[in-house]
Amino acid sequence: MFIIKSYKHKKDVNDLFKLRDIKTNVNMWSVLSFVVIVLIILPTLNISLKLLNETSENWPHIKEYLLIDYIINTATIVAFGGAFTMIIGTSLAWLITAFKFPMSKFFKWSLLLPLAVPPYVAGFTYHGILNYTGVIQTFLRNNTNINVNQSLFNIMNHKGAIFILTLVLYPYVFAIVRSFLAKQSADLIENSRVLGKSPMATFFKVVLPISRPAIVGGVSLVILEILNEYGLFNYFGISTFSVAIFRTWFGLSDLDSAIRLAAIVMIMVLMILLLEKLMRGRKRYSYTSSKIRPIQPIELKGIKRILATLYCSVIFGFGFLIPTIQLLHWALLTYREILNVKFLGYLYNSLRVTTIATVIIVVISILIANYARIKENILTKIYTRITILGYSIPGAVIAVAVMIFFIDIDNNTYVIRQAISHNSTRLFLSTSLVMLIFAYVIRFLGIGYNSIESGFDKIGKGYFEASRLLGMSVTKTFFKVDLPMIKPAIISGFILVFIDILKELPLTMILRTFNFHTLATKAYQYANDEMIHQAAISSLLIIFISAAMIFVLNMNMSKGGRKNVYKNK
Amino acid sequence: MYIKISNLNFKYKNADKPTILDFTFNISKGEVVSIFGQSGSGKSTILRLLAGLETPKKGTIEIDDKVMVDDNVFVLPEKRGVGMVFQDYALFPHMTVEENIKFGLTKMSKSEKKIRVDEVLNLVGMKEFKSRYPHELSGGQQQRIALARAIAPKPSLLLLDEPFSNLDADLQWKIRQDLKEILEKAGITSIFVTHDKEDSLAIADKVVVLEKGEIIKIGKANQIFKDN
Repeated sequence: MFIIKSYKHKKDVNDLFKLRDIKTNVNMWSVLSFVVIVLIILPTLNISLKLLNETSENWPHIKEYLLIDYIINTATIVAFGGAFTMIIGTSLAWLITAFKFPMSKFFKWSLLLPLAVPPYVAGFTYHGILNYTGVIQTFLRNNTNINVNQSLFNIMNHKGAIFILTLVLYPYVFAIVRSFLAKQSADLIENSRVLGKSPMATFFKVVLPISRPAIVGGVSLVILEILNEYGLFNYFGISTFSVAIFRTWFGLSDLDSAIRLAAIVMIMVLMILLLEKLMRGRKRYSYTSSKIRPIQPIELKGIKRILATLYCSVIFGFGFLIPTIQLLHWALLTYREILNVKFLGYLYNSLRVTTIATVIIVVISILIANYARIKENILTKIYTRITILGYSIPGAVIAVAVMIFFIDIDNNTYVIRQAISHNSTRLFLSTSLVMLIFAYVIRFLGIGYNSIESGFDKIGKGYFEASRLLGMSVTKTFFKVDLPMIKPAIISGFILVFIDILKELPLTMILRTFNFHTLATKAYQYANDEMIHQAAISSLLIIFISAAMIFVLNMNMSKGGRKNVYKNK
Repeated sequence: MYIKISNLNFKYKNADKPTILDFTFNISKGEVVSIFGQSGSGKSTILRLLAGLETPKKGTIEIDDKVMVDDNVFVLPEKRGVGMVFQDYALFPHMTVEENIKFGLTKMSKSEKKIRVDEVLNLVGMKEFKSRYPHELSGGQQQRIALARAIAPKPSLLLLDEPFSNLDADLQWKIRQDLKEILEKAGITSIFVTHDKEDSLAIADKVVVLEKGEIIKIGKANQIFKDN
């Protein structure tokens, strides 16, 4: 029995490694994908090995006194932030999909705009609005002689952080649930109505259960964003894990403890991803047929019309309009002082690193997504997992990993570089922007990849095969057939990544070179130095560039929807 | 023999049973062969193996005395000189009819391409649709263009995957006759896959009946379908 088994095994191995298959499988796409994947995974492996180092003298102290605070702070904000974004995001998505009311068309895309506001910007703006010298208290003091209880107006605490994060992160849930509902059949809703359920009962008994995978997906993104957040928590003085990693590393210069904290965050992240998988459930609620009749919004009547508009206005107002108007006011006070050649430099820096990193991400995403769809096997499945892994790793953790990785490279190549040129310094790559761009790529590759992969999914493999049989190689097919057809997906991917990198703070703060500032770091620096007014112009630029891109994205998506004749024609 | 397929074996990754089992079959030049079978019999897989879109576990395929695949050789699909009409036609939506047909004509001069495009469009009777986009054509018209596109580079073998499945029933008889005529005129060795014995009877010189990946009958269409 054993002999037969081992014989069979040997035969399988032979089948696996036919020279023929190796020859046909090694091409530009497979080799480049492999190289990129190795580069992406190396820093994480490198840092994991350092977990085996002995603990420093700080670690017992951190473990005994501080760790529990980090866990409670992070968990509280994650729990409430997750719950509130879920309620607001889902309810808005349903309202916009199922009903018509005044301004509902405008809200359809403008409710995405709070995504353009970085949480730390919203944080210091609301602090500026509410504090003693802020517009509200000043108005009350000067006009009504009311002196308010300061503790009621203090936003720099857990509740305040949850408020801010809910307002700027709910669009993740809103966007995902809305696009999910847009793909659902109207039959579902109408059947429920015909069976005698009220709109309210339909929402709770039909819409909510079928949207569960989308809701869970959106909330998971929100939670990952909260774990990643550094600027807001540091500004508010709340010790979450991201803040703790920074402090341990830079305050205590204790790298080993910082790595340990990073490892704990990663365990939390993995638990959340696992939970997400479990909660999405085994059931798949999506339709395979593309010939569905989408849900048609019905006109709301009477008081409901007003309430719906009011609800959307309140969220839009707090999430986007109020902070933007406040920032505009501050910008008017400070533009003479701020707008100078130096400032243009920051703008240029921002646009330059963001564009370079975004282009690299889009190219890598196309490379791996195309290779993974051509060769569907276990290896490409692993590639896909690794590609999207970075987005679930908080910025502070990636920063630690990438910096150590580059310092190690510099140390290990020092001798060689010395041999080539005597002027070589010990630190070479780790003092250049290569390091920052590399970190951006690891962190945001998943965003670009998801968008481009779904573009490939949409067109399927038929055109690719037809082109091959008409005599075109994989690469020629890519440029002549695939690329023109996935253009909308590439544009979406580019925009989503661009916005995220433009807003990014923790990676940029740690990995930037000396005296290198972007709009984000400058805004944060001003705010942190209690110069909130001076932070306004950088913040506004981030918001306006991102908002414009969200608008373009929305146009691109609805155009893509109308032009979606590819698959079935 | 012009096309020699011997001992072909194939299994999809997630399947527990082999999809194709010891498939051996030869075709002479210019013959029109139908592979007949129910869905899941592996008939489309044979086409994909011939085209080079799948790699067999075992077995060889030779076309015109050239080895396309065996244990040591695998000729990439674009180098096989095999044309295929896909079930859903796969006409490139961002190209006009003319551009679609020109796509496969790589080794020709501009004027040669123009002549060839007109030739094949004449053959399928679609000359006046040259500058249309695929979505501006009906299902039957799309199929003709897909056929013209596949024939244009003068493939040594033409494969047709369920050529009639996406068409209205009342059109089928007419299109069968048209296809038969076109294939005869073009004189290309062809294999088409179908689950409708009427198709086989109308067009094929020879029929291969496939069941669960194995050949159970080979012969002339009227002989094979005589009993039922």
